This record gives sequence, C-alpha cells and structure tokens, in this order.
Amino acid sequence: MEMERKSTQTTEYPKKESKTGKRTKPPLSPQNKNSKGKKQMIAGKILSIRDISRLFCIVVISFCAVFVCTLFLNYNTDLKSIGIQVMQSDVQNFYNAQVMTGKIVSILSGGCLLSTSAVMLCFYIGHYVDTHAKMLGILKAMGYPNLKIAKGFAGFGLCVFVGTAAGYAMAHSIMPLFYRTQNADGLLPEISIHFHPALSACLILLPTLAFCLLSVLYGYFRLKTPVLDLLKGEASKKIKIPKDKKSRNNIKKLRTIKNTAGLPFLQEQKKSILRQKKSLVFFIGFASFCYASMMQMSFGMEELASRMMALMIFLIGFTLSFVMLFLATTSTVKSNWKTLALMRAFGYSDKECSNSILSGYRLPAYVGFAIGTVYQYTLLKIAVTVIFAEIENVPEFHFDIPAFLITLVSFAALYQLILYIYARKIKQMSIREVMMGEE
Amino acid sequence: MIKIEDIHKSYGLADNCNKVLKGISLTIKNGDFLVILGASGSGKSTLLHVMSGLEYPDQGKILYDGTDIAALNDAERTKFRKEKIAFIFQQYYLLPHLNVENNVKMGADLAKNQNYITAIEAVGLSEKRFRYPHELSGGEQQRVAIARALAKKPDVLFLDEPTGALDETTGRQVLDYISKLQKELNFTIIMVTHNANIADMAQSVIHMNSGTIVKLWQNDTKKTAYEIGW
Repeated sequence: MEMERKSTQTTEYPKKESKTGKRTKPPLSPQNKNSKGKKQMIAGKILSIRDISRLFCIVVISFCAVFVCTLFLNYNTDLKSIGIQVMQSDVQNFYNAQVMTGKIVSILSGGCLLSTSAVMLCFYIGHYVDTHAKMLGILKAMGYPNLKIAKGFAGFGLCVFVGTAAGYAMAHSIMPLFYRTQNADGLLPEISIHFHPALSACLILLPTLAFCLLSVLYGYFRLKTPVLDLLKGEASKKIKIPKDKKSRNNIKKLRTIKNTAGLPFLQEQKKSILRQKKSLVFFIGFASFCYASMMQMSFGMEELASRMMALMIFLIGFTLSFVMLFLATTSTVKSNWKTLALMRAFGYSDKECSNSILSGYRLPAYVGFAIGTVYQYTLLKIAVTVIFAEIENVPEFHFDIPAFLITLVSFAALYQLILYIYARKIKQMSIREVMMGEE
Repeated sequence: MIKIEDIHKSYGLADNCNKVLKGISLTIKNGDFLVILGASGSGKSTLLHVMSGLEYPDQGKILYDGTDIAALNDAERTKFRKEKIAFIFQQYYLLPHLNVENNVKMGADLAKNQNYITAIEAVGLSEKRFRYPHELSGGEQQRVAIARALAKKPDVLFLDEPTGALDETTGRQVLDYISKLQKELNFTIIMVTHNANIADMAQSVIHMNSGTIVKLWQNDTKKTAYEIGW
C-alpha cells in the first residue's frame, strides 16, 4: 500500500519536456525544496568524525612536510634578502651552500612527504569506498550522482589543513632557534625573521585545496563502480575480466598454472593477500625506506650540518615510518578481519592466523630498508663531493657501519613490535561478533 | 556423544543484562541430525555458538565424549575446533581473494587431507574449481562452503541457517547435498533454522523460545530435501 501511495505521488509531478527535447525541472514546491535540502545534507554527511580522525597519519605527515619547508624556505627567503651584502668568496660559498641545502631539503622532504600524503589519501579513500560500499551503493541507487557523493569526500582533504597549519605554526615558533643554529659561526650578517604571506598561502592553503580536489576526483573515480557491485560489497573484490576472447584465454591459462602449483592454504593465503593490496606493499616498503634513509642520514648530519638538523631528520623519519607502518598493518588486519575470524572458527591457531596475514610483508620491508640505506649513502656522498665541494672543512663521508647496525636493529624491533600489537589484537577478537557483522 | 548440561548465557551487564540461554540441557548421539528451530531472538544461534566452542557459556557443561569444552582454555578450544568440527554459515563466508580450490584447501589443510578434490567433486563443482566466489551463484557458493567444511573431515558439522540466503530450488539442492553426504560419511549435523519444514529432514528436533527448549521430538521417518514443504 505504501509503495502504491508513493508511486501515485510521483505521477502527480511529471517531468516536462521542453521544445528542445531537454527535460526541465518542475517548479520547486516547499515539499520539493525540503527534499532537495535533505539530499544535500545526506551527501554532505557521508563522512563521520571517526572516518576523518582515521586520517591522523596524513595530518602528521603534512605537519612534518610543512614544518620542514617553512623553516628552510622562510630562512632561504630571508637569506636572499642579505645576498647583496655578502662579498667575501668563502662567505659567498657558505651562503650558496646554505641556499642550496634549503632548496634540496625543501624539495626532497616537502615533495616526498606531500606526495606520500597524497598516495595515502587515495589509499584511504579507496579503503573508505570498500568498507562503506553498501552505504554508497544505496546513495547511488537512490539517484545521487557520483559527483555529488564525491563532493562529500572533500572532508578528507580538509584534514590536511590541520597538519599544514600546525606545521607552519610550529616552524615559526622554533624559527629563532633555527636561524641561530644555521648561522652559529657568525659568518653571515644577522638574519632577522620576516613573515612571508605568499609562503603561508603556498604552504597552508595550496596543499589544502589540492588535497580537497584530489579527494573529490579520486572519490569520483572510485564511485564509478556499478551500483550492484557496491550493494553487494564487492567494490574492489572483483577480478577484472577482459572483454576480448584472447585475453580471457590467457587469464584462464595463467589461473591454471598458478593454481596447479598446489601450495598449502596458508602460503596461498599469504601470496594472495600481497597480490590483493599492492599499495600496502608499497607503503611498507616505503616506510622502511624512509626509516633506513632518514635514520642513517641523521647520524651523518650531526657531523655534516648541525645537531638540530640531525634531530629534525631523526624525528621526521621516525614519525613518518612509524605512522606508515602502523597504518599499513592496521589496514591489512582490518580488511582481513572476517578472514581471520573464519580461520579461527575453523581451528587455525593465533600464530597461524597472524602469520598468514602479516608475515608476507616482511620481505618488502627489508627490501625497502636495503634501498633506503643505499639511497642515503649515495645522496650524502653526492652532497659532500659535489654540492659542498667548494666549502672548506667539510668532513669526509664514509659508510657508517655502527649507524647502519643501530638503524637495522631498531627497525627490526619496531617492526616486530607493531606485528606483536596486532597479533595480540587478533588473539583478543571475538569470533561471534565478527561473524554477526559487529566489527 | 555430545552432552549439554544446564547451559546459561547472557550478554550485557547488570540492568542491561539479556539472558539468552536459560538452563539448556540436551544429549546428541553420534551421527544424529539435529535441527534447532526457533524465532529470531530465541537463542538458537547463541546455543550453536556455545556448542561449537566459539563462545564460552556463563554456566554449565558441554561434554564431547566426556571432555568439557567449556573448561578448556582458548588454545585448547582452537585445537578442539580444528580436530572435531566444521561450520557452514548463512552468508557463506568464503574468502573472496581465493578461488574455489583454495577455499576448500582452507578446511582440508587442517585435517591434512590431500584428497580435497573429492570434496569439490562431491558438491559438483570440479569444473569451477578455479573460479572466484564472486563468479559463482549463491547456491554454488554455499556448495563451496559445504566442500570446505567436509574437506575438514569433521565429527560434527554446525550449520547456521544454511539456506537462509537461497531460493527454494537452490535451498533444496544444498540440503540434499548435505543429507546425502551425512549418510555417506556419518558425521553429526546440528542445524539452526527458522524454516520449520526443514525439521522433517532431521532425526531430532528442538524448538526454542526465549532461551529455553519448549519442545523436543524425534522423527520416525526422515523426509528428503525434495519431499519437505518450503
């Protein structure tokens, strides 16, 4: 009866056809106006505070990026204003080296950190679409256009503002100390701190706007999934089957080869989890890369630059890699929560469960670590031999074995600690709650 | 033999305490086909979870051939589940990233069953063993879940509304597979359902309401999946 009444109401407001053939909207009655307002409200409220709070790591990374960039770019801008006062050649070299260091650190750290945040943001949005597929499917089925729903994702991008603004403020609060450290030998004339509005716009507003835009666009792209797939909760579970026969046959052959290998279930599970979320392999590899490179670099920096620079690189490296490792592990465990519950229900031990999900990432982690070690060595070697070549008293740079060992041991400990935390969480899971869908 | 003695289970604390099971006692013989009937909220699924060792009861004993699983610690219960039981759920719970063969292997590897292909053949899916769950119909997915459970060679098979998400034809097919395989392999079946017609297929039936058994009976003759009403 309810359905019938509703359909009668709809037929009372037929959509008119204009002369050009385009449909024109009926005049908005107060009732229609209200429903439009409600539509906007629903689309705008697809993100809860809890969803946004999960972007904590992006806030941390954007904080680090803007913090470093503000310090060095503000210093560079102020340094350039005294450029004409510098006359002596050795002072000129010192000046050039400082300008160059500022540029390199800003581009490398800022660029690298911001691009990591962007990749993470896309990953989060993808994860959000996967975990909220049913809700988004309902919205789409009700007739909300993809763009309208995607606009709601701008909230993800807005969280970057918190990080960038905090990073900017923090950088300004320690700027006097930074300026003193940079010119500790007093080779350059006194440099006073100036506020550069263009810099604040570039470092706070521009990334926020860019991240909002990225969120909407990526969300829009992910929402192109057919409604039925979203409703079935299969936003990313489907394996794409190509339309042409030749490619389909190739896939069939590949499947047969892969599946006749006869691997035990646990190994097959480990392999498929790695294949399933390649972005997580990247994150874990990249987190290890950052840890290895920035930790070892911080040891070298104490001698090559200053203790403050070393401390800064250490803190950023540690925060970045810890946050990324934690995020990747959390995401792996959460996306496989039901699989874990089922494995436990069937009688797989806690160790088998956590190993099948988490231990596959060990190899990418150590590969990332090895690449990070080589990268930092090459980078510092080039910096000492090429960039600071004209500066006197720059110490020789050699591969620091104790620093490497300390970094490796601390990384292994950190990695194992994160795995241990999640192994405990898996142990404490309530199978019934997971099976009943009360994650 | 499974013997359940005075099982109590509740959720929540103090004022919000919801007593779901209120002193259930029951005996199930080996090779029995038991159906637990009851409306939503009657406690039938909770009883299944407690009997299968997924949850601890607040009070009472669950004896499997004399061993009280309610007194086992977590690791011991995991071992018990590994060796004795298997599940089939309403929502199938297949692993979406693994194909049919690997999903069945999940159960087979626990029982060190190298001959898991037989289980796939038994449910008529040998030609679809490299397909992924999303490439199968609901009935086929449930048959994979049956193969996965049977490849584990369980002593007791727990089924939680196995036909709840299926249409009549597919539901009958699935039940037919299960009852035929039970006759062949002689394992115990404990099935929770709200469909009273399915009770005609079982040897023993219990009817639950508000956490207690209100009726318990034995069927003299068992009907097949195609003879029962729907």
